[in-house]
Amino acid sequence: MRQRIQTRPPQIWTVVLLLGLGLLIFALAFFASPAQAAHSYQEDQPSNDFCLACHQEEGIDKKLGSESLPVTINPTQFGFSVHAEEGINCVDCHTDISDYPHPDVKVKNTRDFTLTFLETCKDCHEEQYSKAHDSVHQIAFDAGNKNAAVCMDCHNPHTQKRLTGKTSGELTSSARVEIPETCAQCHSGIYDQYKTSVHGNALTEENNTDVPTCIDCHGVHNIQDPTTVTFRNSTPFLCATCHTDATIMDKYGISTNVLNSYVADFHGTTVKLFEEQFPGQPTNKPVCTDCHGVHNIAKVNNEQTGVALKENLLIKCQRCHPDATANFSAAWMSHYEPSPEHYPIVYYVNLFYKFFIPAVLGGMIFFIITDIYRRIVNRMKGAKHA
Amino acid sequence: MNRVTQTYLRFPIARRIEHWVMMLSFTTLGLTGIPQKFSASNISISVIQALGGIEVLRTIHHTAAIVMMLGSVWHLLVMGYSTFVLRDKMSMLPTFQDAKDGIQALLYNIGFVKTYPQMGRYTFEEKMEYWAFVWGTAVMSITGFLMWNPITSTKYLPGEFVPAAKAAHGGEAVLAVLAIIIWHMYGVHIKRFNKAMFTGKQTEAEMLHEHPLELADIKAGIADRRPDATTIRKRQMIYYPVAAILTVAMLGGIYGFINSEQTALTTITPLTETQIFDPQTPQP
Repeated sequence: MRQRIQTRPPQIWTVVLLLGLGLLIFALAFFASPAQAAHSYQEDQPSNDFCLACHQEEGIDKKLGSESLPVTINPTQFGFSVHAEEGINCVDCHTDISDYPHPDVKVKNTRDFTLTFLETCKDCHEEQYSKAHDSVHQIAFDAGNKNAAVCMDCHNPHTQKRLTGKTSGELTSSARVEIPETCAQCHSGIYDQYKTSVHGNALTEENNTDVPTCIDCHGVHNIQDPTTVTFRNSTPFLCATCHTDATIMDKYGISTNVLNSYVADFHGTTVKLFEEQFPGQPTNKPVCTDCHGVHNIAKVNNEQTGVALKENLLIKCQRCHPDATANFSAAWMSHYEPSPEHYPIVYYVNLFYKFFIPAVLGGMIFFIITDIYRRIVNRMKGAKHA
Repeated sequence: MNRVTQTYLRFPIARRIEHWVMMLSFTTLGLTGIPQKFSASNISISVIQALGGIEVLRTIHHTAAIVMMLGSVWHLLVMGYSTFVLRDKMSMLPTFQDAKDGIQALLYNIGFVKTYPQMGRYTFEEKMEYWAFVWGTAVMSITGFLMWNPITSTKYLPGEFVPAAKAAHGGEAVLAVLAIIIWHMYGVHIKRFNKAMFTGKQTEAEMLHEHPLELADIKAGIADRRPDATTIRKRQMIYYPVAAILTVAMLGGIYGFINSEQTALTTITPLTETQIFDPQTPQP
């Protein structure tokens, strides 16, 4: 049978479709913002649609050694991503690819494949990239831990939605709600504790964004090691950023005097001085988290662990004061300002000295003034002081 | 010998050393204590920094407190000897006459009476300061004990006593430091630089001026009538063993003050709450 060497002349609808598609691509390139247009408008670059034509197929993967790397890109999900929104092309990041077949992938596992893109984000996100380079994750990575988080672990470039308000530049509420889930990918044990805490519960159950997410305490990108002495010594001031802010605390009837009352106490005075003078030196005096917990911070009136309950507080005291007995915990004034209702003895001692000191010193000064007066008068009279 | 060259021994060397001990420990306590009370002030922060940090400062404060407690024990022993063995007049005890002297001095100063009161070995001003010091030392020791040994204290007392002790300790400290600066400075340094506590001596003119009744007693030969040697020896035989027991008891008290408890662990174990790296999907 003779092989058919000449194709049929193209039917009219095919011509129309191709022309339409061409026009659409041209229009997209034209209307995209100038910066992106300049970046992506290269004649020999394949379009995203070109890539997706193959990569939208479900269940496709690439064998890397014994592992398989899923290479399906869901066009809908990608369409919602900030990169699609900003008109970023696949090949802007996948710079080694310009056509099919793709160049051979040399790495032997999926993690190594991810790590080939380590420098990629830097081109557009220089600030975040360099901040992340000062992070505890980078330190772990440099020490040889390949699992330490890199950009793509928290921000899947194919699905990452816009995190900040377009005009405000502030993190959006929905983004805040998602943060702990992001960190949970690697820190699931901590996430499980956080979810049950007064903060985490409000965030995950009520979408309440007044509460801190991971990044509010740990920072973002330049996340520091939270187990250092410096971090511990600065804890009270970290908590105080929200807990002295009346606009947040008044909603929940929480005192904003917690830092002042802590610093007024023996423990807080010490920690504050350490924080100011020797931030890197350890102190055995407690910070907020030693009594209230870290990721599992509970309401103070929580029956199991709440420190407003004497027996719960005593357990906390005994961590550092093993010999403490029942009365001991009341030596800490529980963030109260002494008043006739709370800690009346302290209140009346203060009140006593408030009047006693000026009374005694005033009496002394009065006597001294009369003595000086008499000396001057006597000297003027030429008489001698008795 | 005239009134300027004729001198009388006011404070024997032992008393002068005692004064130095109390003065140095008091000053140290004040310098290391006031910055703790006003720890937010920049001056305090500088002082604390200069002395090597709050923990060093507290150690110095505690050491000075021990010195002052030892000084107080010594003072009690000396007073016991003076009272029991020598049967000296208890010239420091406040009397009704002191109140009258004080009022008379004030009235004289403001011109209501013509003469200044004539006083004995200790004037009402000196007695006031002495007893203020005794009161202050007692308050500071008790409140200091409560803070130094909060665990022992709260075995017997409500927990609230500890912050109350801190409040009283701070209030009393301010009072004591300012009283020394105002009353003591004026009384013995500004009004007239009274060197008796350093040289031990006062001239006859000074005695006539400040302690005329004591001078009269000295001149009359009735000031320091010492018992005869045998009586002294007999009393010493009683006093020394009693004093030895008291000394041991008081030193034991100080030892207990310092060592009755280990208040806190010096290092706290970090909160090992959970595994840090704990991925949701186990890594291959």
